[in-house]
Amino acid sequence: MASVDEPTRRDIEAFVYLEARLADESRYDEWEALVTDDMHYWVPFGPGDYEPGTRVSYINDNRARLGTRIRQLATGVHHAQDPPSSMRRVVSNIEILSAEGDEFEVGSNFVLYEHAVQATGHLRLWAGRATHCLRRTADGLRMAAKKVELVNSTSPLPNLPFII
Amino acid sequence: MALTVQSSPAEHDYRHLVQDDRIHGSLYTDPAVFTDEMQRIFTDGWVFVGHQSEVPEIGDWVSRRLGTEPVLMVRNRDGAISVVANRCAHRGTTLCPQNDGNNRNFRCAYHGWTYDLDGTLLGVPGPKGFHKDTADLGLDRPGQVDEYRGFVFANRSGTAGPLGDHLGAGGTDLIDRTSDMSPSGNVRLSAGWIGQRIDSNWKMWPESDHDGYHLNFTHASMARAVPDTYYDEIVMTGEEASESATRAYDGGHLELDFRRSYTRELAWLGTTREKVADYCEALEGSFGPEKAKTIMWDGPPHALVFPNLFLAEMNIARIEPVAPGVTVHHHTPLLVEGTDESVNRRLVLQSEAAMGPASFFLTDDAVIAERMHRAFEGSSVGDDGWVDLSRGIEREHIEDGQRWSDITDETTNRGFWHHYREVMAGVAGDQQNGI
Repeated sequence: MASVDEPTRRDIEAFVYLEARLADESRYDEWEALVTDDMHYWVPFGPGDYEPGTRVSYINDNRARLGTRIRQLATGVHHAQDPPSSMRRVVSNIEILSAEGDEFEVGSNFVLYEHAVQATGHLRLWAGRATHCLRRTADGLRMAAKKVELVNSTSPLPNLPFII
Repeated sequence: MALTVQSSPAEHDYRHLVQDDRIHGSLYTDPAVFTDEMQRIFTDGWVFVGHQSEVPEIGDWVSRRLGTEPVLMVRNRDGAISVVANRCAHRGTTLCPQNDGNNRNFRCAYHGWTYDLDGTLLGVPGPKGFHKDTADLGLDRPGQVDEYRGFVFANRSGTAGPLGDHLGAGGTDLIDRTSDMSPSGNVRLSAGWIGQRIDSNWKMWPESDHDGYHLNFTHASMARAVPDTYYDEIVMTGEEASESATRAYDGGHLELDFRRSYTRELAWLGTTREKVADYCEALEGSFGPEKAKTIMWDGPPHALVFPNLFLAEMNIARIEPVAPGVTVHHHTPLLVEGTDESVNRRLVLQSEAAMGPASFFLTDDAVIAERMHRAFEGSSVGDDGWVDLSRGIEREHIEDGQRWSDITDETTNRGFWHHYREVMAGVAGDQQNGI
């Protein structure tokens, strides 16, 4: 666990909450503005303790592929999110795991309720742990990596076409 | 012990429900149809289980389903593959609740009955109170297990005839073309499986996976987000402009055949020879320059081996029925051997884009299937709720025991359903090219 000053801690927590809210509300332009040019977005199969690419993951996006993902969501004809899921997530247990120079590794837990309105109308429950790599830049904090380890990732999952 | 179960007489008139150019929607939603399918297709017929490369070491096992029947595919002490029920022969407890593992033997957590890797009962605690012959109390095993180029299939009833007859020339060629993507001639399925759970009937997946008509609509978002995927030239060029074809082989096997549409080598890999030089040289070394050139131009097949094996280009997928309205679509990248690992890294990345619940393609297919399923749940009674599958029926051709037509024609859908009709109506074997 890293110790940081209180203003830094508040900034980090505010960033994690903002990132969650923009994702909940499918505000992808604003969400994308939070990421760095070397962003890595990863949803592993099982614990994220392997090198991405050595086995298959749900999501293993470099910055370019993340851009494609967001462009697809913005087309208006991505049926898997047409209309967008109604979502709300609760983020908690925020811990600053490490602080080195301008970079902070931040762990948190989340529970996300998704109303999958596209076909079934089911209320879907997603839960897991997020690990953010946040970097202090001239424009404020930005996200260089987000890893999302779902508690049930080793069982079949329903559609996950939104940003989790 | 073979799991021999007698087929019950048909209560449904499958010859009415599956007509030449339309099928009835109740085939997707009726629980009695699902029960019939678990018997006639997934018990009485051959079903894909897995690939030998998934269990390289003695004691390695993976958990699978033959229809809804839970089984383990195991590497035996003698190096052969066993398929055994994942269910204790005593009181029925699941032996291995995980997806995969390695065991010296299988021991039930409930009363400690212990089985060898091939399912033989090794011992029971307190044997004095037990008067039956333990030789009769091994794990249930399919009546037949066989493999072709490492692809393992099982037939629970043991009555389906040889695997070679099930695969036929079409299925054999499709598996050959898939396996020959690997310079060693053996593919390797070692990158793990991901399952996508879809609230639709399983049969919508052989259909959707082999539908050349839907891409411009279902996948319009992908075309707009990435305007230069190789799908543009092979299927998205519009009616009759594409050189690609739909094919239906005897036995219900299907293919979207893109070979004639590729305008350069390695288009299916989205790359050029310079980027994967080691792989191309390995193919040439193994197969000679002529066949290697064909492989590099044609790429892997996009095909169904009836009923549940989807040769998904450089992925392998399994279609697993769970309930009339629930299916799991499992996939794993098809890795190659005999070359450096960089091409396999590329294949994992390509797989992550195309397949699975967070991919750019199958997410849209899933929602379409779920919408179809919802639409039939309420309306498939009486003479409403028919599915029209007539597209291209007047312009398809029969050639070398296969039926083929333009890429946007429903030749594949009809091929699936007409074979399904033969199986479900209880006619032994396919009628000669009766598709």
